[in-house]
Amino acid sequence: MKRALYFLSLLLLVSFVAVGCGGEKKEEKKAEAPKATGIKIGSLSPLTGQYAADGNDIKNGVLAAIEVMNPEMGALGPVTLQAEDTSCDPRQAVAAANKLISEKVTAVIGAYCSSATIPAAEPLMAAKIFMITPASTNEKVTESGHKYMYRTCGRDDDQSKAAVKFTQEYLKAKTIYLVDDKTTYSQGLADNVEKLASAAGLKVLGHEHVNQGDKDFSAVLTKVKAAKPDVFYVSLQNSAAAAPMLIQIARMGIKTKILAQDAVYHPQLMELAKKDAEGVFLTFGYTDKETASYKKFADAYKKLGEPGAYSAYAYDSAVAYLKAVKAAGSTDPEKVKAELMKLDFAGASKQIKYKENGDSGSNYVIQVVKDGKFDNFWNPETGQLYKK
Amino acid sequence: MEVFLQQLVNGITLGGVYALVALGYTMVYGIIQLINFAHGEIFAAGGYMGVILISWMVAQGYPPFVCLGVALVLAMGYCALLAMAVEKLVYKPLRSSSRLSVLLSALGMSIFLQNGLMLTQGVYDRAYPGEMVRGGFEIGGAMVSYMQIVIVGITVVLLVGLNTLVFKTRVGKAMRATAQDKTMSALVGINASRIISMTFAIGAALACAAGIMVGMYYGSVRYDMGFVLGVKAFSAAVLGGIGNITGAMLGGLIIGMIEVFAAGYISSEYKDVFAFIILIGVLYFMPTGIMGENVDDTRV
Repeated sequence: MKRALYFLSLLLLVSFVAVGCGGEKKEEKKAEAPKATGIKIGSLSPLTGQYAADGNDIKNGVLAAIEVMNPEMGALGPVTLQAEDTSCDPRQAVAAANKLISEKVTAVIGAYCSSATIPAAEPLMAAKIFMITPASTNEKVTESGHKYMYRTCGRDDDQSKAAVKFTQEYLKAKTIYLVDDKTTYSQGLADNVEKLASAAGLKVLGHEHVNQGDKDFSAVLTKVKAAKPDVFYVSLQNSAAAAPMLIQIARMGIKTKILAQDAVYHPQLMELAKKDAEGVFLTFGYTDKETASYKKFADAYKKLGEPGAYSAYAYDSAVAYLKAVKAAGSTDPEKVKAELMKLDFAGASKQIKYKENGDSGSNYVIQVVKDGKFDNFWNPETGQLYKK
Repeated sequence: MEVFLQQLVNGITLGGVYALVALGYTMVYGIIQLINFAHGEIFAAGGYMGVILISWMVAQGYPPFVCLGVALVLAMGYCALLAMAVEKLVYKPLRSSSRLSVLLSALGMSIFLQNGLMLTQGVYDRAYPGEMVRGGFEIGGAMVSYMQIVIVGITVVLLVGLNTLVFKTRVGKAMRATAQDKTMSALVGINASRIISMTFAIGAALACAAGIMVGMYYGSVRYDMGFVLGVKAFSAAVLGGIGNITGAMLGGLIIGMIEVFAAGYISSEYKDVFAFIILIGVLYFMPTGIMGENVDDTRV
């Protein structure tokens, strides 16, 4: 009897682990065991914790790039990936960067959070390892004068300009309320928007900060509801944080226009917030999904799941590096850098051409959530709506 | 006034959830003086069990309240069994060893369960099916959603049920007796092992209900959601006087209220700081918590 009882308890504990019916199974496609020869690149992104979805997008983007580029690398190949987890934590990011250095990678694609990218860059630069970030938009990333630092996505100063222009010219707003969750990226961006907005004559009714990982925004939203702003600017570190906020905004009956930013751009937003995500505006880099290069990427990515916000940028970052290595004929940092500066090709996300400081230019447009999908909405360059 | 009313409504919702989880900490502590760190993970497991059951039943086309009711009962049963299994396998063999080793095994169990959830359910947020309970009404400028009413309603039913169980029934009497003196209660014929097992089960069932309600309220669950909430609920139990049931309910409500009012009137950035300042302040003047006593007769 006692034995049976113990057996039963053991079974329950095991069932706990097995209860994952219907759980997401698109996890982990381990790269093959690294070989001594060939090119080894690393990726840095949050693979666990609250930003895991975005982090895995980046890893998968690099995997797709390796699959596409591997046949082209000839005697230099094969290319292998060493994916490390930052958890979006500055300390862990530095530790992971050091691990990649000891693994002798020649380039690192990452990281996701600007607050992880900036400190992780220090040891990588000292070891003359390329760091190409597909997602860190904070201005400071490329402003430290690092020689091997590149950025495939846009910059937050440009992003905030697009946001304020849209607020003023299209929404014709007079007042704005801002919220951020205190990361280098999210607060930096919200501060930029606040500065530009008040310079442009908008009245800033308030700027609140919440904590990373918060799910209850009732206090902030109560204030927003009382202030009745024309636009509510939401700068949170990812879509999983924004979704509960949108749900609570709808629940509290707040009718304000909502403008978010690139970190919130992820299919997960609609999955979590469902109907409550409808009509939300956000700033994101313009990507034409009909180009040949995007289709090539989408094909390679297919078996890894649905591309996330920064999958295409991670793909382009890795492709750019591998193209440069191929042209240089070696992984020598000086030679690769010379080739990287010469690159000018149509990537999956945009035209890839790096500038002297490592940036590749911004092309922010306003997108809107419509019928559960992101849709190009307004072009800040021309001030025109996108035609359907 | 508008803000005050709104925050009052929000505070009651949040505080009720804290209270439900805090009860599990306090009851287990009362009976075997163990801080059960794995309790937060049971809460998360409940949230996941809820999303699995509710998604499945909604897909079959059952009406929302049937889905919610059945999922609550089944998930609470599952969590109760899970907690009993944990107790049997991990805590019971260590019952006669030092309290430190049990405490460490509780920490280990917490890590095991959290990673088990991560491996089986993935690292992504998992969405609760929408449209369960929508809408709401306004009183004096404060928005009260039907979801909040459902949550507060379920919480009150569970709390009243627990109170009746502990203070009005024979089992409750046996629990209180075991908490007071294990040896003596065994001498008068109470099966202490069974009572301890049952305490774990009840605490887990309450946490599980809280997990489902949090999942519905915020629209999603994640594998690590038990950690932060566990810490807050544990603080609520300490604030109320650990070991004391009424204290845990009161503590949960107080922590929830401080959080929303600090966020509403001072700064949402520092809401946790205020909750913990109050905790430290109370413990400084009342080291055993608000309802805690040195005599042991109100413990479970």
